[in-house]
Amino acid sequence: MLEIENIAKTFHAGTPNEVRALRGVSLKIEPGSFVIVIGTNGSGKSTLLNAVAGSFIVDTGRINLKGHEITRWPEHRRAQFIGRVFQNPFSGTAPSMTIAENLALAAKRGRNRGLGWALGSSVKTDLYDRVRAMGLGLEDRLDTAIGSLSGGQRQSLTLLMAGLLKPDLLLLDEHTAALDPKSADQVIRLTEEMIRRDKLTTMMVTHSMPQAANLGDRLIMMVQGRILHDFQGAEKQRLAPEDLLARFEEVRCSEQLDETAADMLSRQYV
Amino acid sequence: MTLLVGSFTMGLILSLLALGVLISFRVLSFRDLTVDGSITLGGSVAAILLASGWNPWLATLLAFFAGALAGTTTGILATRFQINGLLAGILVMTGLYSVNLRVMGKSNLPLMKESTLVTFAQSFATADAKWTFGRWEVSVQDICVVVMIAGLITSVALLMYAFFRTNLGLAMRAAGDNDQMIRALGVEVGWMLTFGLALSNALVALAGALLVQYQGFADVQMGIGMVVWGFASVIIGESLVGSRQIGLLLVGAVMGSILFRLLVAIALRWGLNPNDLKLVTALFVFGALVLPEAIAHLRKRIATT
Repeated sequence: MLEIENIAKTFHAGTPNEVRALRGVSLKIEPGSFVIVIGTNGSGKSTLLNAVAGSFIVDTGRINLKGHEITRWPEHRRAQFIGRVFQNPFSGTAPSMTIAENLALAAKRGRNRGLGWALGSSVKTDLYDRVRAMGLGLEDRLDTAIGSLSGGQRQSLTLLMAGLLKPDLLLLDEHTAALDPKSADQVIRLTEEMIRRDKLTTMMVTHSMPQAANLGDRLIMMVQGRILHDFQGAEKQRLAPEDLLARFEEVRCSEQLDETAADMLSRQYV
Repeated sequence: MTLLVGSFTMGLILSLLALGVLISFRVLSFRDLTVDGSITLGGSVAAILLASGWNPWLATLLAFFAGALAGTTTGILATRFQINGLLAGILVMTGLYSVNLRVMGKSNLPLMKESTLVTFAQSFATADAKWTFGRWEVSVQDICVVVMIAGLITSVALLMYAFFRTNLGLAMRAAGDNDQMIRALGVEVGWMLTFGLALSNALVALAGALLVQYQGFADVQMGIGMVVWGFASVIIGESLVGSRQIGLLLVGAVMGSILFRLLVAIALRWGLNPNDLKLVTALFVFGALVLPEAIAHLRKRIATT
C-alpha cells in the first residue's frame, strides 16, 4: 500500500536553524494495517506524516502509494488517496461554514468539483445519517457554523470528514493531544470504530503511551529522524505502556551524548 | 428628488463593485487593491468599444472579461510567484493605469451620442414623461434606468448566491476560510484564489462599464479610492444584516453600497467639500475596522472593574 524508501528532509538547510528532520526513513505498510508512530519531541514523527501527505517535498528518497510514485506530487493531488486529521482541532474544518457544508466539502475529497449543488437532498440525508451514527447529537445542528462548536466536536467531525470517502490511507497526527481527556476518549473511540468498520490503512502519531500500547497492530518508534524500533504482530500486542516508557528512557540516556560527540567517538574507536 | 434617484442609481451600480470586493475581501480573505485599476479598465474598455459603435451589451460583456483578466493577473502574481497579496494588487493596479490610457488613447473619453445600456433603458419612455409622487416629480426615463440596473444587480447577486452553494463555490469559500483544510481535501488553493480574484475583478469591471455609461464619460482617474469605497460598502452591509451567512452578505453588500452613496449625497448636500470626500471615506473605513474591537475591549474593562 505505502512504500517509503530512504526519505530525508532538512529544513532551513545551510542556516543556523538547520534541522535534519528525517534522516533516511524506510517503511513498508501493508493494506489494512494500523500503524502507531511514537517518538520524542523533534524525532520527526509528524514530519514523516507530513512527508507522506505532501506538506513538503522530500529532499531524497521515494514514496510510493497504491502503485503510484507520489514523491513529487503536490499535497492537493495526494488528497485523492489520503484522509487527514490534524493535531489542532481548528485546522481540519472551515469555521465560518456550516457542519453540512464542511461535510459536503469532504464528500468531494480529491474529486472534480463542478457546478452541481453541494447540498442536494440525497447528500443531505446521507450526511444526516452519518452524523447521527457518531452519536454526538450534532445531526440536528447541521446548519450551524462549525466555528461555534467545541474542539472535541470539531475534531470528531474532522475525523468523520477524513473517513467519509474511505481513504486508502488515513493519517492521524496527534489528533487527541489538544483535547480534554473526555473528548480525547470519545475521539479515540470513534477512531477505533471507523478504522475497524472500514478496514482503513492508518498511520497514527500519538504522545499517549496507553493509546500507543492499546491501539494498532504495529508500532514504530522514531528517534532523531530515524526509525529506532518497529514492533509488529504478537510482539506489538505484548507491549505495555511501561515497556514503551522504558524504551524512551534508554533513548534519553543515549541522547545525553550529543550526536556529534557520538559520531566523533565512533570514528575514533570503532 | 432627481438627486436622490441619481444617488440611488449610482449606489446600485457601485453595488457590483461591493459584490466584487465581497468576494476578495470576505470570501477569499484577500485584500485586493487591483480594484482601483480594474474598475477603470472596465470603464475604458466599455467606453472605447461604445465609441467605435459596438453593441452596448457586447461592450459591457467584454469589459467584464477584461476585469477577469486583470484579476487573473493579480492571482498569478500572488500564487505562482508568491508575491505578497497587497503588493500583487498594487503592481497590477499601477500597470493598469498605463493600460487604461492605451485602451482609451487619452485620459478622458466622453460618450455623447453613442447608444449605451442607459440610452437603451431610456428608450422605453419619452424624455418628458413624468411620474409624480406627492410633491415630487420623477422622470420615467430615470425610473427605467433604475429598473434595468436593479434587474441586472439582482441577477448577478442570485447567480453568485447559487454559485456559492455549488461544490466549486463551496471550495472557493473554504479556500478563503481554511486553506490547510481544503488543500488536504484535494483543492489547489492557488488556482481557487486566482479564479476568485478573476470573478471579483470581473464584477468590479462590470461596475466600471455601467458607471461610464451612466455618467456619460470614462476617465483614467475614475478608479482612485474605489477599493476603499468597496470596503466601506461591505462593512456597512455586514452591520446592516448582522450575519456572516453568504446570502445575507450578498444582500448586505448591495444595501451597504446604496446606503453609503445616499449618506455621501446627504453629506455633500449639507456642505461637505467634495475634495474631502476620500478622506472622510478613509476615516469611515478606519473607524468601522477599529471601533468594534475597541468597543468590545471597553466593555471587557467595564465588566472587570
